[in-house]
Amino acid sequence: MLSVNRINTYRIPFTFEYYRPRTLREALEILRSVEGAKVVAGGTDLVVDMKFRRVEPKALVDVSKLEELRYVRLVEDYVEIGSAVTLQELVESEVVRARLPLLWEAVNSMASWQVRNIATIGGNICNASPAADTAPPLLAYGAKLLLTSLDGVREVGIGEFFVGPKRSIIRPDEVLQAIRVPVHPAGYGWSFRKVSRTSFDIAKISVAVLLKVDGGRIRDPRIALGAVAPTPVRARSTERAIESLSLEEALEVGPRFVEGDIAPIDDVRSTAWYRREVAKVLLRDSLRTAYERSLNPGWVHEG
Amino acid sequence: MYDFIGKTFPRHDGVAKATGLVEFTFDIEIPDMLYGRIFKSPYAFAKVRRIDTSLAESLGAVVLTPDSVPDRLFNPRLVSIEEDTFKDWRVLTYTPRYLGEPIAAVAAPSEDLAQRALEALKVEFEEVYEPILDPFKAMAPGARPIHERIVRGRTWVEVRNNVAAELRYSEGDVELEERRSDVVIERRFHVPRRYHVQLEPKGAVCKPEPDGSITVWTTTQTIHNTKILISQVYGIPMSRVNVKKVPIGGGFGSSIHTNLVTLIAVGLCLKSGRPVKLVLTREEDMVHDHVSFEFYMRIRAGATKDGTITFGEFENILDIGAHQVQAYPLLGTALGWFVSLYRWRAVRYYGRSVYTNKVPSCAIRGYGAPEVTWAVETVVDEMAEELGIDPLEFRLRNYRGRGEIFWGQGPTVKSVIRSDGVPELIARGSELIGWRNRGDPRSKTGRYRRGIGVGRGFHTSGAGGPLSGAIIDYSGAIVKVNEDGTVDYITALQDHGGGTLDAHAKIIAEELKIPPSKVRIVWSDTATTVYDVCTHASRGVYVGGEAARRAAAEVRRKVLEYAARILDAVNPEALRVEYDRELDDAVIYVEGAPDRRVTLSEVARIAWQRNWGSISASVSYRATAAPPSFTVYFVEVEVDTETGIVRPVRVVAGADAGTVINPELAAGQLHGGFAMGWSWAVGDEVSYTEDGVPAHRLSVADYKIPTALDLPKPEEFVVLFASTYEPTGPFGAKGLGEAASNPVIAAVANAIYNAIGIRFYEIPITPERVLEALRERG
Repeated sequence: MLSVNRINTYRIPFTFEYYRPRTLREALEILRSVEGAKVVAGGTDLVVDMKFRRVEPKALVDVSKLEELRYVRLVEDYVEIGSAVTLQELVESEVVRARLPLLWEAVNSMASWQVRNIATIGGNICNASPAADTAPPLLAYGAKLLLTSLDGVREVGIGEFFVGPKRSIIRPDEVLQAIRVPVHPAGYGWSFRKVSRTSFDIAKISVAVLLKVDGGRIRDPRIALGAVAPTPVRARSTERAIESLSLEEALEVGPRFVEGDIAPIDDVRSTAWYRREVAKVLLRDSLRTAYERSLNPGWVHEG
Repeated sequence: MYDFIGKTFPRHDGVAKATGLVEFTFDIEIPDMLYGRIFKSPYAFAKVRRIDTSLAESLGAVVLTPDSVPDRLFNPRLVSIEEDTFKDWRVLTYTPRYLGEPIAAVAAPSEDLAQRALEALKVEFEEVYEPILDPFKAMAPGARPIHERIVRGRTWVEVRNNVAAELRYSEGDVELEERRSDVVIERRFHVPRRYHVQLEPKGAVCKPEPDGSITVWTTTQTIHNTKILISQVYGIPMSRVNVKKVPIGGGFGSSIHTNLVTLIAVGLCLKSGRPVKLVLTREEDMVHDHVSFEFYMRIRAGATKDGTITFGEFENILDIGAHQVQAYPLLGTALGWFVSLYRWRAVRYYGRSVYTNKVPSCAIRGYGAPEVTWAVETVVDEMAEELGIDPLEFRLRNYRGRGEIFWGQGPTVKSVIRSDGVPELIARGSELIGWRNRGDPRSKTGRYRRGIGVGRGFHTSGAGGPLSGAIIDYSGAIVKVNEDGTVDYITALQDHGGGTLDAHAKIIAEELKIPPSKVRIVWSDTATTVYDVCTHASRGVYVGGEAARRAAAEVRRKVLEYAARILDAVNPEALRVEYDRELDDAVIYVEGAPDRRVTLSEVARIAWQRNWGSISASVSYRATAAPPSFTVYFVEVEVDTETGIVRPVRVVAGADAGTVINPELAAGQLHGGFAMGWSWAVGDEVSYTEDGVPAHRLSVADYKIPTALDLPKPEEFVVLFASTYEPTGPFGAKGLGEAASNPVIAAVANAIYNAIGIRFYEIPITPERVLEALRERG
């Protein structure tokens, strides 16, 4: 039986406690002591899920106003981004634009201005949607996530973070504190592409590519895709297959291999077949763009 | 020539809407008000054994069950005459026939308590049947009847094979004409259900009055039919039901009928004796309340070598869902659109409306015309190609134009066409889009391919005609001059947000030669207005505007009578009226003696001070025609042959709306009409899972309509108005709202064909379908 009468999108149809801690430590204490508590930042995914009763947390711990989580900082060879930074702040950040152009390109394509003003990068990651647009660029950059609890901080690679649709390794008493992203490697070209039903929609398929060109050969390609597997994925076999190939060869070989790196499904947004076919097309388009950008280093902002 | 018609003025409600000050039904708050929630059936087809209300009542809620409302079948739409009204609805039911059908309702002092009470209702089901979701399965022998008996007019009728209504029609000798044809084309088309995505979800507020009457505020396109239906269902005299006109956030046909929420809110109000507000959430509105009709069409048509269309055969199966709103009349209008598009020498039609266990369908912008026009315009394009005749030339040779008989809305509404801008729109539009250079799809190569397509269509202006017919269509207006010369305009006619009433204000202003700012549009109710059937069928400006003009003309006559007394003229015929820009008022003067003059404000003041009486008029008006507003769209698209994504590049939207009263708002109708048609052509669809659950059940997050970024850039969207004058319309005006979207699917589909050489017979033409078709062709 469908629970049509338990859904109410005007009111969250159940009661819950709401906490707005003043410090990260306070947040962690609440998470440790209050059973069934969940972290909320922008709420653009979580609140919708609550109205539909896909989740019914007993308490929400709002971290969106914690100054400790709201910064973008260049630290030596990486950029550290606090998890409560909004998508619009990332778009407007000169550091992100100059040092992480692949991430910037992805975030700039996300949602509408209004949604970007409240949605956060931490929320986009922790929601663990296979279609999260920040994930493929972060996978390509090899970002690290700082997961904090009262027990301390653990650093995990973003590649280990996602375990399935809406599932990750984060524990209920942990907060994603920050994302550490190695700065864009010099001379690398980049490209983020996606297709979606309408301009403000989440992706049917997204592809992020980072690569270097050396003597007309592709070097160190890093390819990640979204919405075509249970989690955002690195296309490792494709990367190996196109290493040291010319662009023309890569355009030929890459699409053949990428099929093996993904496992798309039919859903309300598209079909498995379409995702497979168009993932190949977007890969080709992205390889071409990244290749061209690599040859034209002037495209990389030096901040 | 005109002082106000055809010029742009600020909308009377523009600032209030832009600043969020307009109150919609949702915003109404009354002291001691209860909040309602509906218990929706969790099954698409089931039978309820019992409802235990005790827990919900113990929480302090008022509960309404099928036992607490009159057991009376009705049809929520009262536009057809009673003999043609098929009644199969109840306010609440023990036999839900679609997922979400209201079984019970609660009302409580807070929204949260109402939700808790709703969840506390215990509804026990006696049986849960396998839902019938496909109309062909519904008609198959042995299928479970969704309804056994319904009421037509006042007579019980049996339902056979789940066919809710049918209509057959023929004219001329189809077999003979087919034998004479050199080309015959037969195609099957499928149009899925779509959601209206009107901005405002449906809602109602009902308040009991101390005198025992009730006042109702609700999202509706017709306050008078709402009043009548409440009166009929609950057995309350019409004088004790007052329905207030509230601004409505769009309708697109979804509130032509009285919404079930309104009747449920009335039931809760009557039972509790307290004001009750009941508003659907967006998800309830889209998943459980309404969608458009699903069409399965087969068209067979022929033409001779010289480019003359010979015959058209049309089989039309409508999947109407679980109840009838317009199941029968839509069979007639679908035929009407078909017959009136081209000069078929012979026609044969067989239409059936079929019950399924899905949300009831209701009219959506165009009332079948966008769907039928797409099918016909596709077949016509194919015939022209086969005959080697330019599609524009072929259309010009065969369409129904001036002087010909035209079917307004169905077989009982016929009139003669008196104005026709089609040749002008085709000539100017084809030039602007570059029709001659559009190329042959077979010669196009490369990843991105462009194509240009045309779609020609029309819509009626209202549903009037010289004979009374099966449809009720008349309007009314009251115009009164205040004692300072300003004017109150009182009408029941609803403005969906398109600015219809601003058009009326300008029509009145033009007639009286006073500025539109002096005409106040009164937010009225059923108690203080005369009957208007409904704002639908693109009749707002043509029918309602003419009612307003006639009332203003009567006022003008009275003003002139009084002015003649004041100016000592021999009689009113000696007087002239003109708008004086400096005084910002109408000035009445004696022809040839310009110093004998008086302003309209002075006339009003003097009539008051000298006890001559109020200057006012009340008019009830029936139009004797429903003239077609023709539209011709030229669309250029670009198809990405690797992703299947179709992008609109350029649009030339040509409209023959007669005299254009509000040029900017009329252009807005064309922009919006294109956006909606584009969405139908390439985007949206409500499909169902096996349980009868819409696949998009989650929310509008998964029901996508185009955003501004998905549409052509404003500078690539050209609006053309034909220079026509409709002699039966107010100052020559016709309708526009639906004509603005009717040929869009056709134009888009023809443009896609011109780009890639593939015809699609099923919409939406999604990237997935385009890519599959391209791969299949190889």
